[in-house]
Amino acid sequence: MGIISIEQADRLYWLGRYTERVYTTIRLYATSYDIMIDINKGSYDEFCRNLDIPNIYQSPEDFKATYAFSQDDPNSIYSNLMRAYDNAIELRDMIGSECLSYIQLALYDMNKAKVSEAPLVELQRVMDNILAFWGLTDDIIESESCRNTIKVGKRIERIDLYGRLHLSKEMLVREVHRLAGRIDRCALHYRKAVMDDLGELIKEEQLDYYRIVQEIEQILE
Amino acid sequence: MYDMDLFEHTDTVNELLARYGVKFGIYKNNEFKEQLFPFDAIPRIIEKDEFSKLEKGLKQRVMALNLFLKDIYGEKKIIRDKVVPEEFIYASSGYLTQCEGVMPVKGIYSHISGIDLVQGKNKEWYILEDNLRVPSGASYPMIARELCRRSSPRTFQDYKLEDNRNYAELLRRTLDHVNVEGHTVILTPGRYNAAYFEHSYLAERTGAHLANGHELIVEDDKLYFIGVEGKKERVGAVYRRISDEYLDPMTFCEESVIGIPHIFDVYRKGNVALLNAVGNGIADDKGIYYFVPKMIKYYLGEDPILQNAPTYLPFYKEDMDYVLEHFDDLVLKDVAEAGGYGVVFGSSMTAAQKEDFIALLKKEPRRFIAQEVIDFMDLDIMEKGEIVPRKADLRAFVLMADEPLVWKSGLTRFSRNPDSFIVNSSQGGGFKDTWVLSQ
Repeated sequence: MGIISIEQADRLYWLGRYTERVYTTIRLYATSYDIMIDINKGSYDEFCRNLDIPNIYQSPEDFKATYAFSQDDPNSIYSNLMRAYDNAIELRDMIGSECLSYIQLALYDMNKAKVSEAPLVELQRVMDNILAFWGLTDDIIESESCRNTIKVGKRIERIDLYGRLHLSKEMLVREVHRLAGRIDRCALHYRKAVMDDLGELIKEEQLDYYRIVQEIEQILE
Repeated sequence: MYDMDLFEHTDTVNELLARYGVKFGIYKNNEFKEQLFPFDAIPRIIEKDEFSKLEKGLKQRVMALNLFLKDIYGEKKIIRDKVVPEEFIYASSGYLTQCEGVMPVKGIYSHISGIDLVQGKNKEWYILEDNLRVPSGASYPMIARELCRRSSPRTFQDYKLEDNRNYAELLRRTLDHVNVEGHTVILTPGRYNAAYFEHSYLAERTGAHLANGHELIVEDDKLYFIGVEGKKERVGAVYRRISDEYLDPMTFCEESVIGIPHIFDVYRKGNVALLNAVGNGIADDKGIYYFVPKMIKYYLGEDPILQNAPTYLPFYKEDMDYVLEHFDDLVLKDVAEAGGYGVVFGSSMTAAQKEDFIALLKKEPRRFIAQEVIDFMDLDIMEKGEIVPRKADLRAFVLMADEPLVWKSGLTRFSRNPDSFIVNSSQGGGFKDTWVLSQ
């Protein structure tokens, strides 16, 4: 049809954001989980601080189970994956059944991870499915605007997360450049001045992470 | 007897169906749940000649039903000629006064008809009901066949079957035939509808745009899709998967938040095609079903090729007497219900239930029909590695484009409960592919 409604653009954008959030938080969770196995069982406190989420967890075991798999914790990886699914399922006609199937598979693997004694193995599959989903969006979605809206969501989420986590300057520079090359070609309206500010912020020797997060959160109109 | 290769892959096919999100929605205790639709790999097989007869009968029936709808909302000759009593028209919840005198594009009312049949043990096919409003189910055998081919390619090299890949093409042809000018849209009430998978899958496969009511707007008696830039693009055909009463809050149920205000005016003026037409509920009313063979004779001057299940209308005194006398041998259906609800078997009622039911029947005879319980043919299904017989029906799809088209496949639904005749997915039934042999 070549026309995207406001609601569809919004869903495409949030599909991009939530898939990225799931992907990156699983990677972080896996690192923390690994440390908590035998080095520092209480390291989840720092994890929560970095991600700016409330530390509501009673113990390392509670963190491992609730943060990853709780259906009631809005910050859990599971909740974010469900939000990705909720958006994807309403976009079958735009993204296609093949793309959608990888989000569905990620959800099945997440449910398997929930009852596994070694959940990182299944969570790896969740990430694999998200990677396959992203690969397919590039490969089979014909509409450039549709593809770019998903990718813009993904880049914005990544800059937001990387900023909160104080990741390296090189990583943020790369992501901001990727966003700049794409944001003009998506179905969303954005604030050009904010994009310019971000471009300046990443040139500074010492990154002002707080401002980067503030700016990226208001980039869309 | 069976090609075991495919059946050994039943789990593989079901896993693939799960992968592609082939589900249906159901409300239990006011909570929405998505469920997988269990697939049984043993197909229903219909021979070429047998299907050829079915095809003729289905076309005949749908053509007569279309003429009936045109007549009822127009001249009403069939009432004047006393073929159908007017009580059965005007007392039906499916009859909509708002549709009086409204002629849909090209005079087609039922573009997509889902006709439910069963096959008796005598091999005769009987029509169980006509679904002319928003019949669903074609998407399931469509995708299942593809996944069966993927799981067991050898099976499909060995059997010579009619290809069922073409449903999307037939549907697109049907949509394009009546499209007045503009885009084609599948209008969905949203993902919490039981058939949402089908809405989105058919949109993907036909290239139509899936939209909800908020994304469409009426201006100057035309329908538009609103883009993200505020750009409006004209819509010429709407395959609406939304009931009549929720379609337009300005004309029907004013509380509807899923419809499009004033779309009925656009439709009335011929500026958009709605598939299926509004008001079709009168023709698939269970009470009207009784009269369909008479309609065929009346409008087409032909004898019906396919038979109804023997049906009684308690509205008529002689039928009421028969129903009371043979109560335990009959199945009684509330004409206002669908989806397997409102169906009771006389033999399964307690004495007190029977007494209450008969009192209700006498009080509201128009509300019920009674049918002989057809001893219909069981179909084999695989259950826990064993082959067991179960009751099954067939939903055949007839599309009305520039000519009537019968899809050479169909949805075979079966009961998973060995003691039940109810095959509906909402009541725990599963489905099979329907193979039509090409040789």
